Order: sequence, then structure tokens, then C-alpha cells
Amino acid sequence: MSDEATRRTVSDIPLLKTNSGPRDRELWVQRLREEYVSLIRYVENNKAADNDWFRLESNREGTRWFGKCWYVHELLRYEFDVEFDVPATYPATAPEVALPELEGKTAKMYRGGRICLTDHFKPLWARNVPRFGLAHLMALGLGPWLAVEVPDLVSRGLVTHKENQQLQAPSAEAS
Amino acid sequence: MDDAWDEIRRLAADLQTAQFAQTVQRLSERNCIEIITKLVQEKKLDVVHTLDGKEYITPAQISQEIRDELYIHGGRINIVDLQQIINVDLSHVEARANEITRTERGVQLVLGQLIDVKYLERLAEEVNDKLQEAGLITISELCKTYDLPGDFLTEELSRRLGTLIQGQFDQYNRGVIYTPAFVARHKARIRGLFSAVTRPIPVSSAIGVFGFHEHLLYSVLEELVNSGRLKGTVVGGRQDKAVYIPDIYSRTQNTWVDSFLQQNGYLEFDALVRLGVPDPAGYIRKRFRSSKLLFLRAACVGPALVDQLEASVEEAVSSSTWVDLQPMLPSSLSQEDVGMLVSQALRNAGVTTSARVLGDSVVVSEKFISGCLALFDDAMQMKAHKEVKNNPVFLLTEEEVKQTSSLMESSAPSKKEKREAERRKKTTEGSGSVKGGGGGNAREFKIRKTKKKGKRDDDSDDETGPSSQQGRGKVAEVPFMSAQEVAVVLEAKAGDFPEESLLELAEHLARPLSKAYQEVVRAVFLSSSSSPSGANKKKSMKELQEEVTNLYNNIRLFEKGAKLLPDETQVHITRHVLKTLCSDITNVLVNFLAADLMMSVEDPASISGEIRVKILGKLPEETRAPLMKLHHSLSGKSIEDFLNNVETSAEACGLLLKKGDKKRERQSLFVHRGALVEQLKQTEEPALVLHLTSVLLFQSSTHCILHAPGRCVPSIISTLIGRIPTESHQLLSQYQGLVVKQLVNQGRKKTAEKEVKKEDEEVKKEDEEVKEEEEKEDDIRGELLTLMPQVKDLVLAQRKTSVAED
Repeated sequence: MSDEATRRTVSDIPLLKTNSGPRDRELWVQRLREEYVSLIRYVENNKAADNDWFRLESNREGTRWFGKCWYVHELLRYEFDVEFDVPATYPATAPEVALPELEGKTAKMYRGGRICLTDHFKPLWARNVPRFGLAHLMALGLGPWLAVEVPDLVSRGLVTHKENQQLQAPSAEAS
Repeated sequence: MDDAWDEIRRLAADLQTAQFAQTVQRLSERNCIEIITKLVQEKKLDVVHTLDGKEYITPAQISQEIRDELYIHGGRINIVDLQQIINVDLSHVEARANEITRTERGVQLVLGQLIDVKYLERLAEEVNDKLQEAGLITISELCKTYDLPGDFLTEELSRRLGTLIQGQFDQYNRGVIYTPAFVARHKARIRGLFSAVTRPIPVSSAIGVFGFHEHLLYSVLEELVNSGRLKGTVVGGRQDKAVYIPDIYSRTQNTWVDSFLQQNGYLEFDALVRLGVPDPAGYIRKRFRSSKLLFLRAACVGPALVDQLEASVEEAVSSSTWVDLQPMLPSSLSQEDVGMLVSQALRNAGVTTSARVLGDSVVVSEKFISGCLALFDDAMQMKAHKEVKNNPVFLLTEEEVKQTSSLMESSAPSKKEKREAERRKKTTEGSGSVKGGGGGNAREFKIRKTKKKGKRDDDSDDETGPSSQQGRGKVAEVPFMSAQEVAVVLEAKAGDFPEESLLELAEHLARPLSKAYQEVVRAVFLSSSSSPSGANKKKSMKELQEEVTNLYNNIRLFEKGAKLLPDETQVHITRHVLKTLCSDITNVLVNFLAADLMMSVEDPASISGEIRVKILGKLPEETRAPLMKLHHSLSGKSIEDFLNNVETSAEACGLLLKKGDKKRERQSLFVHRGALVEQLKQTEEPALVLHLTSVLLFQSSTHCILHAPGRCVPSIISTLIGRIPTESHQLLSQYQGLVVKQLVNQGRKKTAEKEVKKEDEEVKKEDEEVKEEEEKEDDIRGELLTLMPQVKDLVLAQRKTSVAED
């Protein structure tokens, strides 16, 4: 939540209203709908600002999410798989985002490739239950982590750029 | 429920569509900057970014903007200002500005400012306005007001002179511009002023007084002088010292100098300086190059004057007279110059050896001087004879003279001694020189008293004995005449000789005269001293022996008499005897010996202490020692010692001293008494009467004679108490009192007279006092006169009885 740009971005994401987890049948649908609206809006905002950086999709129930994220560093795009489950206690507990490719490559990560979020993310999330949703998780959790860790990993040579990787996946799915 | 999930599904699809929708291909600002930087790097694009980095601008646009700004700012703009306005890096601005000045004529870069022709035209017009207003304008002033370099302004303005600017540059000083009208006005004023001037005028003062412009003045003045419009010259170039000298002035000056020299034969430098010639000597030299002028310290003299002087000097020399050049010389010459001129005249005439300059201007021929010397021959002979008779001692060689003169300085009292001897001589005329009657002592008593009263008396006393002073002077050099005396003689002979040079001439003569005089004196002395004959000598030997014996015995008798008196008086008497009789005897002895050496004096009594010493110094060893002792015992206190010395000295001189027997003693007593009585009979002076009377009474009562000074009279009288009848003693005392009063009065009168002389205001008062005193004195005198016969009788009457007794 440090820089001005992030703050503005987050403020553009619509807040959620329904306080409900996957366990609650009807209310979860409502919550899920709000989540989608919020995510769509976020994505649209990103695209409008030429700042598109991830693809996400979920299972039918909307409890498991997966997709890709990427980061442009020195005019090169580094792309990683991303996945997480929505916990039963959601939205009181934030989902744990994982980047399996990078497991063991950086210290700021738990087992299974789950990223280690910044200290003030959790209190922030806790303060904003139930208004924050998955879009906020991406913007405030994964986005800053990538911005810090990727240049570091690149400079240490643990991540190398893969040629022709960048636009294939999305284009394949689009077709 | 399904509816809800349908909606979810639809939303998920929406998300996918949203995610896969084409991303808007928008270039972010960052990208743009990157792209342009890339392009500029690859030289595909030529742009310049502004300082804040927000805008890019092409160089052409910069040039355009610079032109616009230049126009807006009226044709002159600072590049730094431009840089701020355009807001691109200064180097770009400068580069473009240089580009513009290269490509466009009319625009130039001066001191970091862009200036175009229009601005310069406008500036020229402004300058012209100012110039027309003021008449002149300086570039430096313009520099200040327009803040532009002088060279640039000068160049630009000179290009526009005559077209835009109606004026001209000063020819010599390019920093000033005048209008023709101003120049003409100035020229007219200068012409007027310098045409009117008749005296030299410093150009700087003209500038100060009339407010001319300095640059213009010099050039105009030069032009006018060169063109002949002004008759005159400028001396001193273009500095402050420059002086304008009108021709009319130098012409007048020259004519004055010429005519003055022609008329007077000389020129004073002072006069020339007054006329305004700064270097008179140089000026004269230049002007009278051909004529032979004699340059002195403060003047120069024409040849005519020198010739005239020369002629008169020659004439004086050839006719062996003198000439005073003063009347012929210009009165304004200084003494120094006169001296130079006269010596020059002498040199020219070739008579430097045969003529002499006295004073400043009197030329005397040597022949004339020797003629003057001849005038003194007779006087010299006469004087020499006189001198030889008086003081042979002084004719010793010069060395001895010097020696004794120094000795004399140290023994000043001897002079006094001599004076006393002389005085005694005068007073004892009646009693015979040898016995030295007591009568003289009364007078001495008086003098002693007056001496105490004032020093002036002492001085007058000195004057009464001029011979002693003269003698002193003679001892020093035996001069012939003083310069003053010589001058007096010369004045009588050489009538119209100028007075001031007369004295100089006299001084000039005095030296050779006194030299010649020495010679003459020596010659005269030698011729005179060889005369005394042997017979004469023998006779004088006998006489001498007689005299010495006489004196010797008298002294013994006096000593005996003195012993009867109280001690105090004895001392006085002893000293008196030593001074008088003992000196006499010594002198007689010394003179006797001196006669052998041809140094004898006619009157032995006139030998003073220092002369004695001198003579003694020349005596042979065996006689000198005892006589020296004798001489010293004179200043001792005991008559006894003296007598012993006399005996030894007499032996040394080959004289026999007979000791007096009773008969002889009695005879001498009688003779002494007779002489005193005779003197008493003749004298009228109260003091002397008292003195003689008391001495005689003493003799008659004690059968001892006394030789006492005047001041011992009272004590003698007191010893007489008891030896003479009381009445007569009373009479004596009374008389004595009167005498003392009279003397005191006389003394007072003298001092009173002096006071009167000093203080004229108190004359009246003093007169009264003096009158009173005179009256008193008359009374005393009367009483003294009445008493005198009685006092005399005391002795004379007694004498009869005593004679009868005898």
C-alpha cells in the first residue's frame, strides 16, 4: 500500500458487500458474483491503463482459481503459473496465492510455492473484511510481490527469459 | 439457484472475454520519452527538449522564437534572457543566436546581446537628439547610458555621422562628438579670447575661467595659430603647463630687454622674471648670442660696462691712486655680483697683482698702499725712541713675550700691586721716593673705603692708571697703532677716500706697519743701549749701595716701630711695608742686575711684579735663586724673612749691607721726622693731616718710626692713649671722627651721583638730598679747617719741646 499508483488502482476496484464463504450455498453465489464483477472491473481498468498482467479462471464452484501472471522487466516479459484455493473461512481469511514454478528459488515463499505476503497485508485485509475480494488480493498481494521479487530473481539468474513463451498461451486459449 | 449459477457462469465468461479483449495499444509517457531518446540517438530526429523536459522543440523553431523575441524586445535582447524565455539549454540558444548573426545581416551579437539594425538606428537618432541639445556628447557617457562597449558605439556612430547624426568626432580624441554649431561657437570664443590677450596666459586657466572644452580648445588653438589668425605661440604642448604667449607680448618684452641692456649696460635676472621669462639666463643667452655678456649670479653685464670699469681700473693703477667703482656700477647689483664684476674687470685689465680690492668696489693700486706706509715712517721713529726708554723689557724676543703674557694672565693681582705702587709714588712726592712717607696712605685709606661701595669706582680707578693697561697691551704685541688710529691718520692725508674702505685699508696697513715698527724699535734699542759708560756704572754702584742700605735700615726701624702696636695692626703694617718699601728694595736690586743685561728701567719703582719675574728669568743661575726667594718673600707675611733674603741677595749682587749703629739710626729717625713735618706743614687735606699727625705723635712718644697704611690710623691713635696729654688725644679723636664722616659722605655722594644718572625721574628728590648733604659736608669741612691748625700744632708745638729736649 505504499505507492500512490497502487492506492489509486485499488480505489478503482469496486468493494464487495456480501460476507459469505464457499460453505454458504446461496450467499456464496452472491459473493461470487460480486467477486467476478470486481475482477472484471479490475481487468478492464488494467487494460485501459495498458497494465494487463494476469489471466485467471476458476472451477465451477469458484473455490479454486488458476491462471498466469507476468512481469515486464527491462522490456522482457517473465511469465509464471499462478493458483490458489478459496479457504472455507473466506472472506475472514485471505487465500494463499502460490507460484509453483518458483518454489525453492526465493526465501519469501512457503512450501508449495505459496508466496509470503507483506507484513501489513494481513492486518489490511482483516480491517477490510468483507469489502476486499480477489481483485484486491491480486492488486495488493501478488502485484507488489512480483514487482519486488522478479527483478531480484532475474539478477540472481534463477529465472531466465523463455523465448516465444509470452503470447502463446493466451492466444492458444483464445483460439 | 440455477439462475444464480448461470449468472456466475456468464460472469466467468465475461471475465474471460474481458481478459482476452484486445489491450488498448497506448504509449505511456515513459515509452514516448524512450522512443524519442532512441530516435535522437540514432540521429533520425533533430529536436531539443525544454529544460523541464515536458516539451520538444526543433532548432528552426528556436531560431524563429529568437527572432520573435528580438523583435518584441525592440531589437536588443540578452541571450540569458532569451534562454529563460525559450526555456531550452543555453548552449542551444547560443548556437542558434550565432547562426542567426551569421545568416542575417543587421543582427549582431555584442557582449552576449543580440542587437539588430533597427535598434542601432533608433539609438543613433536618440544620440543625435541629445547631441543637438547639448552641443557635445562623449562616447563614455553613451557607454554608460546604453551599456554598450565604447569601440562598438564609436564604430556604429561614426558610420552614421553625417546621416543620422549631425555632428563630428574630435580629431584628436575620438571619444567626443560635437555639432558643427558647437564647434563654431567655441571657435569664435577662443578666437576672441586669444586675440584679446596681451600677456602670457596659461591655457589651463583659460579653460577654468571661460569653460572651454579642453580637447576642442587645443585643436582649435593650434589651428588658429597655424593659420596665422592668432599672432602668438603655444608653449608647452598639450599639457596643463601649456602657455599661450601672444606675439605682441614677446615683442614688447624683447624690445624692453634690448633697450634696457642698451641703456644701462646690464640686465637683472629678477627683472626678467618679473616680465615673465621663466629662465632668464637661458633667454638672454639665446637672444644675445652674438654679444659678449658677462654672467653674474643675479644679473648679466654688457661689455660696455666692463670696458668702462676696466679703463678706470687701469687708470688708477697707472697713476698709482685709487678708484671707487661703486658710482659706475648699477645700483641694483648685489655685493656678491659686484665682487665678481670687479674681479673680472681686474683680470681683464691685467692688474690683479698691482692692484687690490678693498670693500666691495674700491680698487687701490699697490703703489698707493706703499705710499701710505711711507707716511708713517716719522711717527714710527719717534714712538720707537719713546718706547725704548720706557720699557726695554718688552723688547725681548717674541717667544718670551708670549710666555710672560700667559704667565701674566694667571697672576692677575700683580696689576693691582703695581697700581698701588704707582699711587704711593704720586702721594709721596714731598717726602722723597725712598722713604715712602705715610702721607700717601691716607689717600689709600679713602680709596679702599670707596672701593667697597661700588664696582664702578674700581673701574674708574683702573682708568686713572692707564699706563698699566697700556703696558699690558704692549706686552702682548708691541703694536704700532691700532687700525682705528691708522685710519685717522690716513683720513687726514688721503682726504676723500671712502670711509668704510678707509678702515679696511687701515687694517690692511696695520700689520706691515707693526712689523716695520718692531724692526725700528729693535734698531733704536740696540743703538741706545750700547751707550752707558764704565764710570757711570761705578758711580751708580756706589749710589745703589747707599740706597739699599738706607732702605734696609728703614725697614728695620719700621719693623721695630710696628712691634709696639697691637698684633692686628702689626699684620697690616707688615703687609704694607712689604708692599711698599720692600718692593722698592727688591726692584732696586733687580734693576741693578738688569742693567747688566741692558734691560734697566730709568725708574726702578715702576717695575711691577711680572716684569720682575721676567727679568729674573733672564738672570744667571747664581743670582737668580736668592733674588727669586726675595721676590717670593715679598708676598709672604714676615719682614724678618724678607730681611734675611735681602742680605743674601745683596751678597749675591756684590753689595755690602751695613748694619745701622745708634748714631746712624738716630739720624735716619730725624731725617724721617723732618720729612714728615715738612709734608704736614704743606698739606691741607684733612685725612693726610690726621695720618701724618698720628704717625709723628707716635714717633715722638715712642722714638720709633712707623710706616703704616691709612687704615691703621685709628689703632695708632688708640695706642697713643696715655702717652700724650688727654686734651690733645681728645682733639685727635674729634678730628678723626670728622675725617671719617667726611670720607663717608664723599663715598655716599659718589654713589648718589651715579643713582641720579640712572634714574632721572628722581632727580628733584635727589637734588634736595644732595643739597642737604652738601650743607652737612660744608659744616664738616668748616670744622675740619678750624681744627686743622690745632691738630698741626699738636705736632709742631711738641716738636719744639722735643727738639729742645734733644
